[in-house]
Amino acid sequence: MNPVIALTGVSKSFAGIRVVNDVSFDIRPGEVHALLGENGAGKSTLIKIMAGLHRPDSGAIAIDGAPVAFATPREAHAAGIATVHQELLLFPELTVAENIFLGHAPKAPWGGLDWTRMRNRSREILDSLDCPDLDIDARVGTLSVANRQRVEIARALSQEARVLVMDEPTAALAEADVQRLMDIVRKLKARGVAIVYVSHRLPEIFALADRVTVLRDGNRVGTKDISEVDETSLVSMMVGRAIDRLYPKKLGKSGETLLELRHVSHKSVVRGISLELKRGEILGIAGLVGSGRTELALTIFGITPATGGEILLDGKPVRIDSPEAARDLGIAYVPEDRSLQGLIRTQTIAENIALPILKRLTRGIFVDTARMAVEAKQAIADFGIRARGPEQIVRELSGGNQQKVVLGKWLATAPRVLIMDEPTRGIDVGAKADIHQLMRKLAGDGIAILMISSELPEVLGMSDRVLVMNGGRIVAGFDKDQVTPEAVGAAMTRTTEKAAAA
Amino acid sequence: MTAGLLKRHETILAGLTVLALIVLALLSDKFFTAENLLNQGRLMSEVGLVALAMTFIIVTGGIDLSVGSILGLTAILLGVFWQNAGMPLPLAMAAALACGTLAGLGNGLIVTRFRVPPLIATLATLALYRGLAEGISQARSVRGYPEWFFYFGQGELLGVPFQLWILGLATSVSAVILGMTPFGRATYAVGANETAARFSGIRANATKLWIYSAAGFLSALAAVVFVSRVTTTRSDMGTGLELDVITGVVLGGTSIFGGRGTIVGTALGLILIQALKNGLALSGVKGDGTIVVIGIVLIGAILAGAVFDKNRGG
Amino acid sequence: MTDAAIRRPIGRANWRRFLAGFGQEIVVLLAIAVLFVVVGAYNQRFLSDTNINSIFAGNAYIAIAAIGMSLVIISGHIDVSVGSLIGVIATIAGTLAVSGYPIWMAWSVPVVFAVAVNAGVGALIAYARIPSIVVTLGMLSILKGGLISATGGAWITDMPEGFMLAQMRPFGIPSAVYFMVALTGLAALFMRYTDFGRAVYAVGGNLEAARAAGLSPQRTVVGVFALHGLFAGIAGILFATQLQVIQSTVPPNLELTVITAAVIGGVSILGGTGTVIGSTLAAILFATIGSALIFLNVSAYWLRAVLGLLILATVLADMARRRRSR
Repeated sequence: MNPVIALTGVSKSFAGIRVVNDVSFDIRPGEVHALLGENGAGKSTLIKIMAGLHRPDSGAIAIDGAPVAFATPREAHAAGIATVHQELLLFPELTVAENIFLGHAPKAPWGGLDWTRMRNRSREILDSLDCPDLDIDARVGTLSVANRQRVEIARALSQEARVLVMDEPTAALAEADVQRLMDIVRKLKARGVAIVYVSHRLPEIFALADRVTVLRDGNRVGTKDISEVDETSLVSMMVGRAIDRLYPKKLGKSGETLLELRHVSHKSVVRGISLELKRGEILGIAGLVGSGRTELALTIFGITPATGGEILLDGKPVRIDSPEAARDLGIAYVPEDRSLQGLIRTQTIAENIALPILKRLTRGIFVDTARMAVEAKQAIADFGIRARGPEQIVRELSGGNQQKVVLGKWLATAPRVLIMDEPTRGIDVGAKADIHQLMRKLAGDGIAILMISSELPEVLGMSDRVLVMNGGRIVAGFDKDQVTPEAVGAAMTRTTEKAAAA
Repeated sequence: MTAGLLKRHETILAGLTVLALIVLALLSDKFFTAENLLNQGRLMSEVGLVALAMTFIIVTGGIDLSVGSILGLTAILLGVFWQNAGMPLPLAMAAALACGTLAGLGNGLIVTRFRVPPLIATLATLALYRGLAEGISQARSVRGYPEWFFYFGQGELLGVPFQLWILGLATSVSAVILGMTPFGRATYAVGANETAARFSGIRANATKLWIYSAAGFLSALAAVVFVSRVTTTRSDMGTGLELDVITGVVLGGTSIFGGRGTIVGTALGLILIQALKNGLALSGVKGDGTIVVIGIVLIGAILAGAVFDKNRGG
Repeated sequence: MTDAAIRRPIGRANWRRFLAGFGQEIVVLLAIAVLFVVVGAYNQRFLSDTNINSIFAGNAYIAIAAIGMSLVIISGHIDVSVGSLIGVIATIAGTLAVSGYPIWMAWSVPVVFAVAVNAGVGALIAYARIPSIVVTLGMLSILKGGLISATGGAWITDMPEGFMLAQMRPFGIPSAVYFMVALTGLAALFMRYTDFGRAVYAVGGNLEAARAAGLSPQRTVVGVFALHGLFAGIAGILFATQLQVIQSTVPPNLELTVITAAVIGGVSILGGTGTVIGSTLAAILFATIGSALIFLNVSAYWLRAVLGLLILATVLADMARRRRSR
């Protein structure tokens, strides 16, 4: 069968970094084509190229064999390509029916919007998706995430989409909803809609996909029929040989337990977590987006204080109800979202580094600006930050150097426990190696490091021990010598019996 | 934003101010006299006091439209406490200042606790506080204050109007707090990126509560000076004050989006506006014509800032 | 919402939905009814023709201005200059009328002026990306100062009989009431049945999603302000022709009353929701409260404090509702 849409040799660079490199990819009518890869492998860029949000630097896109170039998302819509975004772009205050048809609503003969037809059509589309229980007059703001997603799928169908791109549709769904979503996907497939399905969860891919394409570092590793692969071969395609890259060796030995969690919970996102973190150790936490790993970090750091359980530092119970409290106890957090949570990008390096240590930098009532500059210079030297000086605006630095500023800012507080959430996301290879070296050195100095990462090679290469989170709980633990990518990958993606039963 | 850039804005502003003063001095021989200048200083004291706190508020990315109403309310309360409740005047003054601070704290609580956008929160309290002033006063004015009380608004110390000393002191203190203390750093951080500030262990909500309370306090202080200057209290005092204040602050280079601004800039902005008003008045433009100029200056200043921002590629 | 009835017969569940869709409007309507009953029982004169006339006809211009304000707030913006604009409109209209221009010009020129001014304001907000509060604060002082310095505070009197639009009483009902009802109905239909009307909700509700759906937020905002100018213009004409004299000053606190009416009528301060019917009802509610205070022998000086409390309570309830639905 001829492909609906075919990409040939597509490349795309941002700021000189090639994120998609010579990728060819096609989708046939009635096919579910899974797109697989780690964070930063180039999946989302590829999706955005198909949705008309990015234009490729080179390569060609063809619809039904005819070459096209999308200038705007509208043109992609017109060509029959619809996207269900991960962040669900809907209008919370409007009804389901209106969300489905906003921008292309049916008109009555006199020119006004035809609400009756709009509602009837919405009902039909939702019924055809096996969602007779979804109320077309409900405000979208009152719906669950799963239902909002169905609304967005219905919206795509209302535009007669022939290609439906679904970006990690199950990342935020509970297990029962995942099953329903999979049913919907099968239904669409039977209707002849071509589906690009992006997901980390291997069981879903085996259950749904006809073909699978794996991306790594912007390159296509391969496209296979689903019958040709199994979980092990897929994981090794995703992870590749990068695991053999040299990670710095552990210096010295882990010391006594510094931080201990006993059945720590936060609402329903962090559930009964118990763990021990030792001096000089790097403890890796693996898990999918939404597995509760970042939420755990936020709980330890006091942004979302624990609603149950106990946190002990040096064997003594402590109360951490704010980031200030965490900081004063010697806990530091290098957050996941650098530009939102990590840095004030419009301020200078010196100003950023001074923030958590303002108290220490204060003489009498005045902030000692000379010492601010000294601290910043120190950090620039210690971490090899490439900057003109302490007065440079953080926004002007590269991603890797920005991340080093975040690190410098927190290390200035002389922490004993360092939580690093995605420490090398979106930074180039050289800076990545620098940060890995640095982490080892800090651990060697006796700091206890809790590292959260979506990159399996990083988790496996850096960690002395690995814990796997899934559904808000720790579902597996491995020592360095027994850990394998397959085992971690399986624990990450496994549907827990508890969740399946629910 | 760099320190250099900020200084550049202030340098331009300072240049403009000097230019305006020179032009006005050439246009009218009445302008550049010590008497006129000191009198102008007297007239801008109330706006100036409130503008100091407003600078902090706008730097945090907020706004306070209720300052004029707080001024009106505390002026009325001052009179009521003294005349109707029989408090000694110094005690009534202290109580009025306390009430103003509470009114500001109320704004802060609505903004931080209930997450109401500052614009809407203070629009509501603008109506509420002014309404309380009107309800309490029932359109009666309070007069007959003792002679010593008029010192605050009419007296002179070393030949300089007394309120100018207050304004000068408050300005220095504010400039030091915003520019040189940990509290000032926290204020900028909250305005530039509240999430990152919180993630750095800055107490964002506490910072805002202090600042909104300070705005209430300074509005009440301005009320005392105002009442003392005009020797009477009326419930419509301070109506439209927020406009003058915000114009001065924004003209002074404080970004309406938060994260940058200085007290020196605000001071220069206020002086420039007062000079314009005075100059226009001396050249025969009536009082109401000058507020047209203020409106144009306000929109123009932000428009220029927006164009400037775009060029920075922000 | 109304056509919930069209698709299915109105069962109990549908009635509930129907009412829930107009939650705030029903509350306001009930409040008006309760006030009339209670105050009417306390003092019969409250229900007299003259008083009811002054409540409805005398405040129709506020309700009409509140329609435009509702659109502005639904689109996610605010306008604090509308009071001054109405003052300016009234003076322009009056001046034209006494200077011997045809009456249709005295009525229409100021309205066109208002549309043009507010379209300009909208363009500054949409294209120069200046926050609406700053632009409209500036406009407030430009219009207010301009008005007073142009007229010197002189009053306009002796306007021709045919000019007094608001004083006409077809079929015994003041024309202002016709305007209020017709404009509210038209605006409600417009907001519900046109692409533009829905775009206003979309842009105010989720800017990002509106862009993804192919709408232009900029054009929508300019359109909203232009429409707001139209309503303010008509309100200004009614205001000008209500009394035998135009005071050439800005009615004090008018903008606040108009904003409050929109917000209490159920227009969310965060944008994206609300109806124009609610704002009209809220404007009537205020007028009723103001009048009731007098009949209950409560000083009218407390009116504004009551308004302030009402707006604060509504805003806090709105925030609480949003937090719940999230």
